[in-house]
Amino acid sequence: MLSKFIRDTKKYFKYTVEASKASLMAEVANSYLNWVWWILQPICFTFIYAIVFGLVFNTKEEYFIPFIVIGVSMWDFFNNMMKNSVKIIRTNKSIVSKVYLPKFVLVFVRLGVNGFKMMISFLIAVVAMIIMGVTVSWRIVLVLPILLILVLFNFAFSCFLMHFGVYVADLQNIVDIVLKLVFYATGIFYSVSRRIPAPWGKILTYCNPMAYLIDAMRDVMLYQKLPNMWMMLIWFVISLALSYLGIVLVYKNENSYVKSI
Amino acid sequence: MGEIALEVKDLYITYNSMKTYSVKKNILKLKGSDKTRIEAVKGVSFALEKGKILGIVGKNGSGKSTMLKSIAGIFAPDSGSVDLHGHSISLMSIGVGFNNELSGRENIALSGMLLGFSKEEIEKKTQEIIEFSELGKFIDAPVRTYSSGMHSKLAFSITAILETDIILVDEVLSVGDAKFKKKSYAKMKELISDEDRTVVIVSHNMETLRSLCDIILWINDGDMVMYGPKEEVLPKYEEYMS
Repeated sequence: MLSKFIRDTKKYFKYTVEASKASLMAEVANSYLNWVWWILQPICFTFIYAIVFGLVFNTKEEYFIPFIVIGVSMWDFFNNMMKNSVKIIRTNKSIVSKVYLPKFVLVFVRLGVNGFKMMISFLIAVVAMIIMGVTVSWRIVLVLPILLILVLFNFAFSCFLMHFGVYVADLQNIVDIVLKLVFYATGIFYSVSRRIPAPWGKILTYCNPMAYLIDAMRDVMLYQKLPNMWMMLIWFVISLALSYLGIVLVYKNENSYVKSI
Repeated sequence: MGEIALEVKDLYITYNSMKTYSVKKNILKLKGSDKTRIEAVKGVSFALEKGKILGIVGKNGSGKSTMLKSIAGIFAPDSGSVDLHGHSISLMSIGVGFNNELSGRENIALSGMLLGFSKEEIEKKTQEIIEFSELGKFIDAPVRTYSSGMHSKLAFSITAILETDIILVDEVLSVGDAKFKKKSYAKMKELISDEDRTVVIVSHNMETLRSLCDIILWINDGDMVMYGPKEEVLPKYEEYMS
């Protein structure tokens, strides 16, 4: 199963890249500002959040602007991945019903599209950090494993949602509601681990991978702190295991998807 | 017997007529007891030699298209197997899904990659596809601006020019206007008569079948009725249908 996965990944790698590029282009093809939106949109959102939460609700976090940008970009990535995946087979019906392709390739394409957007947001965070004079330490290298876990975890969940999304018509509604709940529990505009009284703040952070990953990312990028490495290892192992299960599940059932849509 | 290009063994395909289930329905009815399974293909087997042209006949809803999709690897059979003996295959239907926001040219590249061609191979053939499709300057316009005729012309051109070893044709011998119809029919014929190419055609057009095919498979409600040379099968089929 794993060797087949690696073979298919290689075989469809170029398609993944081209299809991701194509989807990105298609998204902005009809607007006047074109790709400028990729930069403009996160900047505008950041300002809105900064005004609403910083001024109106008076949320106080050190380096509030990059604090928000990091949270929002990682959350948007996760949020878009989940929402895309539930209906991914239906959206790609025209392809899925006419030619065989390993269905996780569709998830790869979304990872490419949403990942690209997240990277642009991160660039904005970096610019904000430079302007605000944030100093960084060697711990910044931990950005890479955190991103890796984020991608793995999203891939795994996307595979499951893709699979069940084909059969369970109501899943989309359920996912929307769950995402709303998780959104508030994740602490995009505040720090869960610091704002919610102990021990609940820590527990909520560690049990929710998105909260943990965002918290860890902020620690290494903004506060020169070492995140809880044990939790990182645990989430890495869980994500890896879930990814494997997701691949097995999708491989076993993918050719029946067409029958249901 | 020559080299076998396509081998289908005891193929069974069923699907649920109740398409997706909703949580509400299930809670109310206690686990989908109203699932009706439709048996689309029931135990079809045949082996097709390389270079031969197989025609599949049968009345509407007898499982022809389902079987074609299963041979193309899009549908999983419930039991039985399809062995392509390592040949590349494409289903010539109304195009590999287009992305409507992208131009025709970009869609050629994406479709080609999905059919298993490398970027270089596609680039080499792109000009030929554009010329064949007669789309001219429209090739760089988004596909959503195409008329349905242009849409199918492009789709046909992609599958016709990017040739695979085995071609499956689902009743699309005529697309576009009268002139393009003629041209596409000629192209089909040229593709089909290539000695190395194995072709499976689903059609209701007796004339097409008689002139193009070597062998005919007749299925009725998913059951295999007859399989043999067209001279034997077609007269019996016509008799049955009239």
